[in-house]
Amino acid sequence: MEKIDSADSFIFIRAIQQKDLHRFTIEWSDGMISEYRLCDLQRMCCCAECRDEKTGRMRIAPSSVADDLQALRIVSVGTYALQIFFSQGCSKGIYSFKLLRSKW
Amino acid sequence: MPDSTSHNLSSIRHIVAVAAGKGGVGKSTVALNLALYLVGKGAKVGLLDADLYGPSLKKMLPEETLPSQHPQHQERIIPAKSRGIKWISMAHFLHEESSASVRAPIANGVIKQFLHLVEWGDLDYLIIDFPPGTGDIQLTLIQEGALSGAVIVGAPQEIALLDVSKAVAMFREMQVPLIGLVENMSYYRVDDKTILYPFGKGKGECFTLENRMYFLGKIPVDPEISRCCDQGESIFAVSFESEAALSFASVAEKVTDQLISLEKLAQSSLKNFDLKWKR
Repeated sequence: MEKIDSADSFIFIRAIQQKDLHRFTIEWSDGMISEYRLCDLQRMCCCAECRDEKTGRMRIAPSSVADDLQALRIVSVGTYALQIFFSQGCSKGIYSFKLLRSKW
Repeated sequence: MPDSTSHNLSSIRHIVAVAAGKGGVGKSTVALNLALYLVGKGAKVGLLDADLYGPSLKKMLPEETLPSQHPQHQERIIPAKSRGIKWISMAHFLHEESSASVRAPIANGVIKQFLHLVEWGDLDYLIIDFPPGTGDIQLTLIQEGALSGAVIVGAPQEIALLDVSKAVAMFREMQVPLIGLVENMSYYRVDDKTILYPFGKGKGECFTLENRMYFLGKIPVDPEISRCCDQGESIFAVSFESEAALSFASVAEKVTDQLISLEKLAQSSLKNFDLKWKR
């Protein structure tokens, strides 16, 4: 029989830290450490305005997001995602842990 | 959007959703009896009626103290208290026969206020009676509530379990651990020897096996449960040794055991974080 659902079926954040002005790191519950650049995340924003719901194509040009993009805050969303309040551009995207793990 | 006031929930040990995906299967009955049992065991319990469009808990609990405005912080709400349970419901702010016909942004605003502006204080358990469906309010509760887990309520009927499977998928997608399934209206005991299964037998257990969930137990069809709910009485006070009361007690014990296991597993996870960017 397959494993019954429990908290260890999911991936959680153990720690999140600002690395420098443009990057942060996440230590995951399984020990893996991932590093993220803010501009990369805004370029793949998954909100309904930045990404076409049907095709999944981005509506914003990657070049419109500055490489030196900074953040104001990064906050948890439930127990499955985070939201980044960027210093400029779109901050509506919710980045699920699943997505963050799949891209890096 | 996550609310910076989520620290309001930080002194609550377990936040538990009671959900079904479908209406009319007894979510409020299960949520209330879970709360009544836990408070009877000495726990500090809160109950949030998130069914804004069909709030039913006001009928099921006696009016002891009503919600009130905080004397110092006018935006904050002191919850109602009945039978030792702190609770809040949209029904507190409506006439009994009027409807809460509000659009989603208003409904989400009310839910956020219930979570973040009600003075829940230190609680062992906050039980959230979810509305039916898998829509906007449910997403807000999951995003804002940092739920410890979800108790799923189902009736032994295929159409009910079909909707339950949607709720299960929603919780899995949003990383809310499933505590297990309660099969409500499971059977009817005619006498000591005869049990009838008016909606079918074993469907809830079958569902849990197919969906890799714990089976938390069966609640019988019992007129005493309905009577207690309608008259705002506690089944544990009226007939603690009855089959209905014992079945709720057994479910509640399994829920608390599961929550302790989940708590140990989730201990190292970071919840409700707010990383302020340094410049």
